[in-house]
This record gives sequence, structure tokens and C-alpha cells, in this order.
Amino acid sequence: MRENPYLYALVTAVAAIIFIVLSSYGVGLLARFFAKLTGATRRKQENTFAGYLFASPWIVGFLIFVIVPMGFSLYWSFTDYRVISNQPANWVGFDNYTQLILKDSGFRASIINTLYLTAIGLPLQMAVALFLAVMLSQNMRGERIFRMAFYLPVILGFNTAVLLAWRLMLNTGTGIINQMIRAAIQAFPPLGYVNRAIIFAQELASAFFLGLSNGKFTLLTKVWEAGFPAANRVPLWVQSPLWSKMSVVLLMIWGCGAMMLIFLAGLKNIPKELHEAAEVDGANSWKRFWKISFPLLTPYIFYNLIVGMINALQIFEPIYVLYRDNQPLIPSAMSMVYYLWQASFSHFEIGYGSAISWVIFIIILIVTVIQFKMQDRWVHYDLY
Amino acid sequence: MREIFPIIKRILLYIFLTGATILMSFPLFWMISSSLKTLEETNSAGIIWFPKAPTLAAYISIFQNEAFLRSYFNTVFYTTLSLVGTLISIAVVAYAFSRIEWPGRELVFFLMLSTMLIPPQALIVPQYVFFNKLKWVGTFNPIIIPGFFAGGAAMVFLLRQSMSQIPKELDESAFVDGANHIQIFWEVVMPLIKAPLATVATFLFVGLWNSLLAPLMYLQTVDLYTLPVYVSTLYNINLTVQQWPTIMTAAVLTTVPLMVVFFFAQRFILEGVVVSGLKG
Repeated sequence: MRENPYLYALVTAVAAIIFIVLSSYGVGLLARFFAKLTGATRRKQENTFAGYLFASPWIVGFLIFVIVPMGFSLYWSFTDYRVISNQPANWVGFDNYTQLILKDSGFRASIINTLYLTAIGLPLQMAVALFLAVMLSQNMRGERIFRMAFYLPVILGFNTAVLLAWRLMLNTGTGIINQMIRAAIQAFPPLGYVNRAIIFAQELASAFFLGLSNGKFTLLTKVWEAGFPAANRVPLWVQSPLWSKMSVVLLMIWGCGAMMLIFLAGLKNIPKELHEAAEVDGANSWKRFWKISFPLLTPYIFYNLIVGMINALQIFEPIYVLYRDNQPLIPSAMSMVYYLWQASFSHFEIGYGSAISWVIFIIILIVTVIQFKMQDRWVHYDLY
Repeated sequence: MREIFPIIKRILLYIFLTGATILMSFPLFWMISSSLKTLEETNSAGIIWFPKAPTLAAYISIFQNEAFLRSYFNTVFYTTLSLVGTLISIAVVAYAFSRIEWPGRELVFFLMLSTMLIPPQALIVPQYVFFNKLKWVGTFNPIIIPGFFAGGAAMVFLLRQSMSQIPKELDESAFVDGANHIQIFWEVVMPLIKAPLATVATFLFVGLWNSLLAPLMYLQTVDLYTLPVYVSTLYNINLTVQQWPTIMTAAVLTTVPLMVVFFFAQRFILEGVVVSGLKG
């Protein structure tokens, strides 16, 4: 049976369903028993049974796939457990964590890279999403088609196939993106200065983050001393450590459609009377946006910020597809999750990998909690 | 003069939006166009928007590539099986959270929502060890079976919202007629939430079809590869010349089902994004 993988999967699926039904029935009976003990009415006993029966697929799955694994990984994170060696795990105390936080330069680089994606990529992504939403919110004809076109990248999103299309487009020499940049500059030379200024700013920012991750800012001073980029410079997308993260940011911006839809829904919820009244008072549309729309949008911005941050902190696919095996580039691009994958599954160090997962989990938790704490300062719910 | 100004503004807006649409869809266009080019054309130093003599050579050769066809079949197989199991279990659990009153409901529901904060990657290491112990590594099981346990708190939430809107009188009259919860679930509630079910099914489909990390970890032989894993092997950094027409052909064929589903389900998706996001 194991020889045929499809048959094996089907048989296991049936077995899993039987297991779910039986365990749910068991949980239901147990719940009814406890309800009976507390002297509930017959109707209530039946409801308790049915409730736990129907909720059990999740409860049982939660225990098997979340609680128990988390417990084990917490334990393993204090051991030197390796999955291929048959030796039992040895308790090593906080060694994994001190190694990880104090000594592991690879992990520090991955945190800084992820920080770059969150601190530079996410604001850009949200700004583009908001801008598109504002443009679309003016009662446009064909809004549906535009919405579809802007959302399609989210569906295709991080599929390997689409990422490879980006890889092709991002080639430095022959890639279509750089060819279009060159063509645009040739047609309209002043654009060259915009291009060079963007390259300069991006490389400075990138060099700063690379400096953070290895503690030496030699690259930053080098970029600064090289000065304003030469006229024939183009972005070195997937070729230079200074650009490897920017390519991922480009992908994030391309996938801003989900955020755009949320913003659009928010903009449509704003009462028209507010804008009309302000217009009568002589406020122009720029002023109306910042004084009326923007404060009313803050709950939506908050939502996008939280979701976007969690997504940015978990980026894996683009790094894997664009930079896997690319030795000189990978340290400048790898994300926290990529590092986790590398440590756990190319070296099978489960103890160390578990420690990495816990650190990632705690980082995401801290960032989310800080966001929720800060929301009182700038998110206005009272306007609804 | 005052009337002309808004019209100009409108025209500019349309030009901008059309431009943005072209930019957003450009990678797709480029993917298709490149799949019809020759190898020289994909590496050309000048811009070739459309190949001069479109060639289907890459398509013909990929349909003879057994590993690609197999990975296609694997993806369809695992996506279908996982989708059906996940969808039904999610609906069952959503029913418990919306149509039945039971002690502990709010607590369990809160617990479920809080799992959304746990990054799935934080669990991959111990789950890998668990599946390794079950001897499931190297089979489809680890990427199919976990979904059967109502995987996806956000989706349960979305269905619960729709189920709560169905009037309670419907179940009560069915109860009087002697129906039990299972019958009510299947015969009364499910037919009334077809649209939200379609939304959830679409999201699940997209997630499964695109999934890379889990298949990469568990399907360790080429025979079992799903499309994202197989297609990623086509691009090999160690080669000096990449077979771009072949890679882009594989990419087009991988994305076709996504586009078909998006085309037919876009109404559900566009609404679902907003509902799942905002009622939370």
C-alpha cells in the first residue's frame, strides 16, 4: 500500500476521518458526562454533547498539532536534539538561546533583513495600497475590473512560478525592468536624475542595514564616498547584496491588493455628508483627505499594519526561490523563517531549530503586543 | 471653465488607473510572452514585447516531461483531497460555534482566534519530528491530513459569521419535526451558506495550490513533488544559461488554474477579503 502514494494518502485520509469522528464522539460523551454531574437539564446535556461533538475536530487538532508540538519544541529548545542521530537529547540549558542571540551572526543578519522588509517594505506597500484605494474610491466606472486587476497579484502571489517570472524580469542586464528604465531615460533624460537619486537613497539605506547586521559600516562609507551614481547605473536587483532585499520589497508592493480592498471598504464607509460639508467650507481635496478620510481610516490602517507586519515577519517563498543556493547573496537576503528552515532541515538540528522558532514566535508576539498598546495613540474608533 | 476641470481630472484618473492595471498585470503578460519565445529571445539585450515567430516548442516539450506532468497530477490530487476535508471540517466547527449553545463555547472560540497569532512556521520543527515518528515523511499525509482538523481559524471565523445570520427559527422548526443536529447542519444550514462556502473554498484552494514550505519539507522524492516544488527546481543557479522559455511555460501552466478560479470566483473573493478582515 505504501508503494502507491495516492492510495496510501486516500487510506490514511479515511482513517483520519474515522479517528476524528470517534474522538469527537468521545469528547462529546465526556462533556455530557460532566454536564450530568453538574446537574444540568436534559436539554442542556444534549446541547453540551452536540457542541463538543461538532467543535472537536478543531479541539483535537489543536491538541495534536499545536499544543503538544509547542510543548515538545519548548523542551527541545533546551537540548541538543538532532533528528538523524539516534542518540537521546541532552539537556543543554540556555546554550541554544545564548548561542543564537549573542553569537549567531547568520541569525542576526536574518533578523535585520526581516526588519528591513518590515520597516521599509511594509510602509511602501501600505502607501501604494492606500493611494490606489483613494484613486479607486471616486466612484469610478469599471471599478470592478480595476479591483480585479489589483487583487490578482495576491492570488498569484508567492507562487514559485510567478516568482520565477519576476526573477526573469529582474535580470540586471537583459531583464525587462531595467530595459524599460533605460528606455524611459533615453526617451526623457531628466528621469535619469530621478533614477540615480533613487538608486543612491536605496543603496545607502541598504548598506546601513547590512552594516547593522555585521557590525561594520565599511560598505556604507564606501557607498557614501562613491557619491552620486554614474549616469549609466541601473538597479542591480537580484545581483548585489545592496539590492537583494529591494527585489523582495518590489514583490510586496506588487501584492498590495488585499490591503487596497480593505482601504477601499474603509473609504466607502465614510459618510458623504462629512466631505460635502467640508467642501462647502472651502476645504480642498488634499486637506479633506488628511483631515477627514485619514483619521477615519486609522482602524483600517491598523488592521493592515498588524496583518502586514505578521506577513512580513514570516516571508519565506521569495527568498527561497530567488536566492536559494546563491552563496554570495543569501546572507544579505535571508529572512528569519528562511534561516529557521535552513538550520532545521539542511542540518537537521532540531534543538537549535526549536530555539529559533521560539525566538521568532516571541518577536512576532512582542511586535503585535506593542502595536496593540500603541493603537490608543493614533487609532480613532470613537468616530464610528 | 469650471465644468471642464473635473472632466480633465477624471480622464487623468482613468489614465493613471489603466497604467497601474498594466503594471500590475505585466508579470503575467511577460510570463506568457516569454513562454512563446526562443531561448535567444529571452536573453536578448533589446526589448522584445512579442516574439517575432511565436513558438510552441516549450509547450510541446513540457507535455512530454513526465516529472512535470506528475507534479501537476500530484498538486491536483493533494489540493482536492485536502480542500474537501478542510472545507467540511471547517463548516462543522463553525456550526458548533454559531448554532449550538454549549458551556465553554466562548472560551474555546477565543482560544481558536488566538491561534492566529502563532506563526505556522513556529510549529514546523516539532511537527516535522512528529510526522517523522509516524513514518509519514516522504508521503502526502503531512500536507493533507492536518487540514482535516479544521485547519485555518480565519476561515472558521468567516463561516461562523455567515452561519450566525441564519434565523434560529429554522433549526427550531426542524427540531420539532424530529431532525437532529447532523441533519440540520447538512440539510438546513449548508445549503444556505453556499456563497460563503465558495469564498472559503477559493481561499483554501489558492493557499494549497501555492503552498511551498510544507511540500518542500515532506515530499522528499521527485515522484511526489507538487508544482511549486518542481518548478523551483527548474531554475538552477549553478547553470550559466537558464532555460527561460521552459521555465515560463511551466509557470504559465501552473498559474492557469489559479486564474480560472479567480475569474469565476472573484465576486466571492473580493467580498470575502473585506468580510474576514473587517468583522474581526
